[in-house]
Amino acid sequence: MTVAAATATAWRHRHLLDVDVLSPGEIGLVLNGALGMTEVVAGGSARTATLRGVGVTTLFYEASTRTRVSFEVAARRLGAEVVNVTAGASSVTKGESLLDTVRTLEALGARMLVIRHSGSGAPYLAAGQFGGSVVNAGDGRHAHPTQALLDLYTLWRHLAPDADPAGPFLAGRKVAILGDALHSRVARSNLWTLTSAGAAVWICGPATLIDGFGAWATGGIGGSRPFTVTTDLAAALADADAVMALRLQRERMTAGLLPSLAEYAARYGLTRDRLSTARPGALVLHPGPMNEGVEIAPDVANGPQSVVTEQVANGVAVRMAVLELLNAARIAP
Amino acid sequence: MTEVGHPVELDISRAWLVDPGTGREGPGELVVRGGVLESVGWLEGTAAAGVDATGVIVAPGFIDLHAHLREPGNEAAETIASGLGAAAHGGFTTVCAMPNTEPPIDVSAAVLAAASAAEASGSPVRLRVLGAVTAGRRGESLAPLGDMAEAGVAGYSDDGAPVASAVLFRSALAYAGSLGLPLLDHAEDVSHGGGGEAADGLISTVLGLRGSPPAAEVTAVARDLAILADVVRDVPTARLHLTHLSTGAALDLVRRARAAGLPVTCDVTPHHVALSDEWLAGARRFAWDAIDDGRRRDPWRDGAIVAPPYDTSTRVNPPLRAPEDAAACLAALVDGTADAVATDHAPHAEIDKAVEFGLAANGISGIETAAGLLLAAVDAGRLPLLRAIEALTTGPARVLGRDDVPAPGFVEGRPADLVVIDRAARWAVSPETLASRGRNSPLLGLELPGRVLLSVAGGRLAYRAPD
Repeated sequence: MTVAAATATAWRHRHLLDVDVLSPGEIGLVLNGALGMTEVVAGGSARTATLRGVGVTTLFYEASTRTRVSFEVAARRLGAEVVNVTAGASSVTKGESLLDTVRTLEALGARMLVIRHSGSGAPYLAAGQFGGSVVNAGDGRHAHPTQALLDLYTLWRHLAPDADPAGPFLAGRKVAILGDALHSRVARSNLWTLTSAGAAVWICGPATLIDGFGAWATGGIGGSRPFTVTTDLAAALADADAVMALRLQRERMTAGLLPSLAEYAARYGLTRDRLSTARPGALVLHPGPMNEGVEIAPDVANGPQSVVTEQVANGVAVRMAVLELLNAARIAP
Repeated sequence: MTEVGHPVELDISRAWLVDPGTGREGPGELVVRGGVLESVGWLEGTAAAGVDATGVIVAPGFIDLHAHLREPGNEAAETIASGLGAAAHGGFTTVCAMPNTEPPIDVSAAVLAAASAAEASGSPVRLRVLGAVTAGRRGESLAPLGDMAEAGVAGYSDDGAPVASAVLFRSALAYAGSLGLPLLDHAEDVSHGGGGEAADGLISTVLGLRGSPPAAEVTAVARDLAILADVVRDVPTARLHLTHLSTGAALDLVRRARAAGLPVTCDVTPHHVALSDEWLAGARRFAWDAIDDGRRRDPWRDGAIVAPPYDTSTRVNPPLRAPEDAAACLAALVDGTADAVATDHAPHAEIDKAVEFGLAANGISGIETAAGLLLAAVDAGRLPLLRAIEALTTGPARVLGRDDVPAPGFVEGRPADLVVIDRAARWAVSPETLASRGRNSPLLGLELPGRVLLSVAGGRLAYRAPD
């Protein structure tokens, strides 16, 4: 089953390093592809094994269970041979160079490299050396392409399931992203994809955690798609169709950006009362892992409006679609 | 054919001479015999017909106030010999070497060792050594400034590690002033801007890079100027030179301080004038093309992004800033607030740049591309040619003061010190065309106007372009 396929669109990328280069048509290809994969995910069966025998290596310089496992499951469902490499954060500074590691993994058979790194831009460095495809699984504060795509997929299925995923299917919809946008690759990538789909995006948090976004908002994403930045939580939530709470890292206090976790929770935590000011039935998203009781109240995190576990399941389907598209581009003549 | 280091014989006819010593430029001819400038003639009437400033130009040899030659300690990045070779290729005949070597140049023996290395290199390019301000560049106690003055330093700088202590900075300014030497300060409040990967602004926000705010430079400049105003009351010979200023607000402070009569000079770098932070995102257009009605254009909207982002050759400190700041640097150059253009030539070995952006060493290998970037500004109609040449010659000479370098200009009977450039010839910046060991230039793969044909230092050949 595919919805109003974006027929004329071809996927042009050997790597997925950022979402800023994806056309609406390419986003539509991923979303349609993911929709086709959901039956596979639900059924637990291997699909047509389009990645049979392809070496997929996950290279994680930052701890992450859910993203790594999600990629691993996605790759295995497509028949790939998966190798997981966890590089301690210490090896980044120890002089063991990323490029050495990439060359070594390629020599060991990696054809697709899924990389997570604490430094913004690191996947670009890897892509410059790697003969296969590099998938950015999160780099520093910069980008988390598959997270943004799975968030978009989730919104598509809930808010506009019959619309063309290559079109502005979120036009007229408001999405509020709450919390630490400054350090968030999830917020940055979602700004590109959500505005591409036509959503009105609101970034909301304490002044110290949305620093710099005001200037970006004025010119707009890609210089043409404005969004709204505010410290006013009530304004951000009013009539929102979806609310995404971002994870708050403890380090933000020691860096002097916030007085305390408690103050953050009191002023910006997504509680049931606050959620009730959004549009009735507004969706609640979170990229995980959640700090329940800080950026999101437990009864909201696990409440009826939460689609957090759906996001996780959708993540596998979206990553399968991405791996398949990249693999086809990789082996194309 | 004359070899590098040997006295030159030259007959240049019908070229465009630029003499910042007298402020005159126009068609002319030069004769050099045995390295001595024998005659200079200005052509007029029919003899001058067809000679203009867009062809071959001749100017006094350039003076760089700020270069990192990496010897001793990091010879994989540069040596004094390779650095002087690169300088000559860039048209520079005098180079001031920063003391942040390993170990640092913070005692007179190290000053003399650098001078010997320059002598041994066979290059006629003059090396002027800057000594460290503080012992070990640690910012804790004064280095032996007097000893180093006797060994011949041109001034003092803790470039790269600005003197954080206001008390120590004050002492250094007074002490150096009493020796008649300038203090070259890298003005940055490291507690504010330290660890920055990019200029704080649109580009750092979009790319998710840690931002270094303009205010980190501005507050440091304000502190330096306030201290200078105090110090000159007791030490009228105190001189402050602010190097690589990169923000409009800091340049405004300097403009006001000079109007008030303070003995402060400053320089801007070619990259802060001609490039901007959008290069980190993969744009490759000059800063003056990235601005519209005084406001930056969005490179994602313009389709200006033509290269992958996060190229570590664009990582430098101070960071490449917004096009508005680049425009302010250019304006300061045009109006004379910036006395000089200094290259901040910072060569690095590949191993220090072929890493994640946040781990990459700061710096651009820039001594060979400086003239080209300024000529690009001239070509764009943004900078008078004479001002560009002044900022590379008489401007820096004035900053150095004393009789450290011969006054730039065409004076008959003196050893020739000049550069010949074919402005019409564009050249490709590539690892093969750069003489520096550091190939860390964001301009690799691009073309620059103005090929240096010949550099002559003290009457001797420093560089000749291959045929």
